[in-house]
Amino acid sequence: MGHADDPLLPGFVLHRTPFRESSLLLEVFTPSGRLGLVARGGRGKRSRIAAIVQPFVPLWLSWTGQGDLATLAHVELRPPPLSLTGRALFTAFYVNELLLRLTSRHDPQPELFEHYQWLLWQLVAGAEEWTLRRFEVVLLAELGYGLLLHCDGDGRPLRPDSRYCYHLERGPLPLQGEAPCPLTISGETLLALDGHSPPQLGAEREAKRLLRAVIHHHLGGRPLRSRELFRQMFVRHTDQGE
Amino acid sequence: MTHPPLVLRLLEALRRLPGVGPKSAQRMAFHLLERDREGALRLSLALQEALEGVGRCRRCHNLSEGELCPICSNERRDGQVVCVVESPADVQALEQSTGFQGRYFVLGGHLSPLDGVGPDELGLEQLAAQVAEGEVQEVIIATNPTVEGEATAHYISELLAASGARITRLAHGVPLGGELEYVDSGTLSRAFHGRREVQ
Repeated sequence: MGHADDPLLPGFVLHRTPFRESSLLLEVFTPSGRLGLVARGGRGKRSRIAAIVQPFVPLWLSWTGQGDLATLAHVELRPPPLSLTGRALFTAFYVNELLLRLTSRHDPQPELFEHYQWLLWQLVAGAEEWTLRRFEVVLLAELGYGLLLHCDGDGRPLRPDSRYCYHLERGPLPLQGEAPCPLTISGETLLALDGHSPPQLGAEREAKRLLRAVIHHHLGGRPLRSRELFRQMFVRHTDQGE
Repeated sequence: MTHPPLVLRLLEALRRLPGVGPKSAQRMAFHLLERDREGALRLSLALQEALEGVGRCRRCHNLSEGELCPICSNERRDGQVVCVVESPADVQALEQSTGFQGRYFVLGGHLSPLDGVGPDELGLEQLAAQVAEGEVQEVIIATNPTVEGEATAHYISELLAASGARITRLAHGVPLGGELEYVDSGTLSRAFHGRREVQ
């Protein structure tokens, strides 16, 4: 529950949609979690806030009211400004869609908020795909869907030189001879995803396949729209899409 | 207060207009029915004719009565420059204030990945096909200065990169007559980084 005189909290708009005649419906992400806010008079010529209540703009926020939809009380910019362009902008949309789809409202996520903020700055600085993979690992862990990355499904330490079959429910299990496995991955890549070592050649591709499968599983199979857009846009040029 | 069913239907229909709530709808309905029945008839005819007669221009997707809108069918407009905008209202705004003599392409929105609005909904393939025909020398991207407008601009510039046409984007700057102190920091920072030589 928020009061107008509560201290301002850092936050980001994840998504906004027009609401009624001149208002905006904002889905914002703060250390207190994701929440829905109505920004009264947030649209139109005279709106003081239309330029700043946009995705990827660091903000200070306060709100009033309780329940599922609170009212934005105060908003101001939280310098320094963050400027995303080009490919990084599309990656950031993908991350916002992940947060919208996987988090629930009013579930405090201070650690995840810090990681999100860190990721956006990394994207501004031209981050590599691996940074996005590490963010996905943290996101899943913070939401209680953590991957098993330090030991196999039977509790044995992972060996960097072994290959594993990743089972969505049980974690990695050593590859058994010729048994078919839809998701094979090296121990080295799993350990690198855990942050123990830098990624080796080929790790990005393996990691992307693993995380795509795991995220798809937790989204209940419904596709991510921003991924589809990303694919249409970039796959024509390269196969290194998000 | 209860209204006759036909009046209720009229009230409901009027409330579809932006900015019209129950009170205004009632005021409009009573005005038309009590004081200006002739005007009401004209309104209903005009509405019906507009609905039947106005469609989209085949080339620029702006509202048009014929297959081509007045701008696209005007021989004196410069077909070598195309300005891409989000809505028909943007065409009006540019026509009134810029003296632009080229043609337009109206997207009808912007890319919004999270709402499922992609390149197909905006007709971007048609835009690419028109540019590929070779007459267009410059594409001016005039999408709104929002995050989504920026993403749309980027997508279009990637899409048309191989066409050989020059791709430009509207400049961002400090509003005329404004004071720096009151300009929002995003605009100010863009204007600062996009500074140019004094001429």
